[in-house]
Amino acid sequence: MPIRVVLADDHPLTRAGISAYLAQESSVELVGEAVDGESAWKLIEEKKPDVALLDIRMPGEDGVSVARRVKESSLPVAVIMLTSYDAQQYVLASLRAGARGFILKTATPEEISRAIGTVARGGFYLDSEVASSVGDKEYAPEALSAREREVLILASKGFSSKEVAKQLFISERTVQTHLASIYDKLGSKNKTEALLLALKYGVVTLEELIE
Amino acid sequence: MRRHLLTIISLAILLPAFAVLFVSGVSLMQHERAMKAVARSYVQEMADNVASRLVDVESRRWGRDYPSIEVRNFRIFTWGPSVPGWVAVINSQGRILFSSPGVDKLAEIWQSGIPLGRAVEIKDKQGSLYTVAVYPVSGGERLVVAAVAWENLLGPLARIGRVWAILVAFMAISILIALLALWKWFLMPIRGLVGEIDTLHWGKDLPRPSDPRAALEIGSLREVLYKLARTAVERTSLQNRYVSDIVRAQEGEKSRIARELHDGTIQNVTAMIQQVRLSRMDTADRVKHLALAEETAHVVVRDLREMCDDLSPPWIDLGLSQAMTELADRLARHYSITITMDVDDNLDLTNDEILAFFRIFQEGVSNAVRHGKATAIHGEIVLKEDRSVVFEFRDNGAGFDPHLDYESLRVAGHRGLANMLERMMLAGGRLEIFSKLGEGTSVRCTLPPKDAESA
Repeated sequence: MPIRVVLADDHPLTRAGISAYLAQESSVELVGEAVDGESAWKLIEEKKPDVALLDIRMPGEDGVSVARRVKESSLPVAVIMLTSYDAQQYVLASLRAGARGFILKTATPEEISRAIGTVARGGFYLDSEVASSVGDKEYAPEALSAREREVLILASKGFSSKEVAKQLFISERTVQTHLASIYDKLGSKNKTEALLLALKYGVVTLEELIE
Repeated sequence: MRRHLLTIISLAILLPAFAVLFVSGVSLMQHERAMKAVARSYVQEMADNVASRLVDVESRRWGRDYPSIEVRNFRIFTWGPSVPGWVAVINSQGRILFSSPGVDKLAEIWQSGIPLGRAVEIKDKQGSLYTVAVYPVSGGERLVVAAVAWENLLGPLARIGRVWAILVAFMAISILIALLALWKWFLMPIRGLVGEIDTLHWGKDLPRPSDPRAALEIGSLREVLYKLARTAVERTSLQNRYVSDIVRAQEGEKSRIARELHDGTIQNVTAMIQQVRLSRMDTADRVKHLALAEETAHVVVRDLREMCDDLSPPWIDLGLSQAMTELADRLARHYSITITMDVDDNLDLTNDEILAFFRIFQEGVSNAVRHGKATAIHGEIVLKEDRSVVFEFRDNGAGFDPHLDYESLRVAGHRGLANMLERMMLAGGRLEIFSKLGEGTSVRCTLPPKDAESA
């Protein structure tokens, strides 16, 4: 049974391009297209697809807030964000909104179908171009300690060092020491990159971050 | 010397004034004392003289009463004393036995407690001063009383003395008042003003507009400084507004370009990449995908050209006539209206001036279409006889009330007119707008003659 997909993008040509990609793929069935956030949400509610490909920038309601509605509605729909920009903050915002995948519009047809397949199986997919812009492919990270994992997960959820310290009953200074150690182990320069690297290397799972 | 001018002036007034006051006071006292001495010695001598002559008469007679004839024949009782004054002989009951003319006054000034044998000063009820001496004769049964009225004896001298005292006191008081006023209404306000201006944040704070304690001149000075400070404040706020306007305009422009690039160009190029990939994959529709990619490439080029035109059209380098005609054609196409443009061929304008006309025309046409719903615009650029250059364009739109305050339009966010005015000012010219509701709008830009400008 093919994976049922809806596509939302306000730009007709890129929408046409991606739908043409999907048409080539026998394992994927495109069940609907939308041109803005509002109609995308209606389409998702109506078709209950397995995967929704949502453009981040759309007129009216943007893709991130549609993803949030999907997450809040508890519909079993895996959201992949489509974007022209590879900004790491977009990735983070998308993940927080419940998206399970993040791909650039310039991704190859193979990558798009790989992403669809991965998220449909319950996995997490980060665009290879975005992923390669963070970290080294061959890098084998040192394992994070249990406490470090906790700190990273809380910090990735958007809590400040102070709030993380309060939740874990440790000092703010200790939180910062943990973060520095995490950055060092993953080879990242900041929190967002650390999160992306941790996801990429499988140090943490998306479920842990979203929960 | 100049630094302490006010102190010096104060001292220059005070020191001589007090010297004069002191000397006048001392001499007044001496004068008074001298007058007193003269009057005393005079009445004493008069009384003494009469008394000794009475004793002489008494020694020749043994009766208790003086022979009136003889005593009455004393020249002093007949003719009066040689200087103003009177002499009288009274008995112990106070009855006047003999007297010189004018003695009636004696009763008025007589009072108990006048000591015997020496001269004293007494005052009558009107306050006139007299010097009186009383000498006893015949073992105290009779008294010789001699008196002078200061008024009569010293007359004008006494009066001048009194007037002089009043004058001196008046002078002292007025000098003190003048100095006090100088201090309070001049020196203190000046100090206050200097202190206030000294610590003033120019362009931010204002001094007090008036000082009720200050003299008129200081008040005017304060008023002038207040106006100056207010101008500085206004200028600062104007400058801030302009700077924030410029920053906002720049940011708006940048984000507009970014948006156009993102929503148009990037999407289109992405689509092209997709179509090229599809053409590789999909053998059946290869030609269709390639054609779509090519078509999209044309759209991208057209979009980019339009953006270039918006930013700074390369063809502006062609010169005034070509640039303005090209602009007119493009604007006409863009807004689907009629635009005609006549440009004098003999004009030689700098690039800045061409750009000013260019932007003003862009803005003007945009205003005419958006606000005035104009459908036809005619522009012409001519060289006037005085060698000034005039660019005028008229539209057939709805017009507007040109009396609208340009500053309030600007503040309300309508930068169009303000931009046009500023452009023209930057190019060294002036801009006038003529409009009437229902009769269209005419914009006239005038560049002054070149030679006059360089002269």
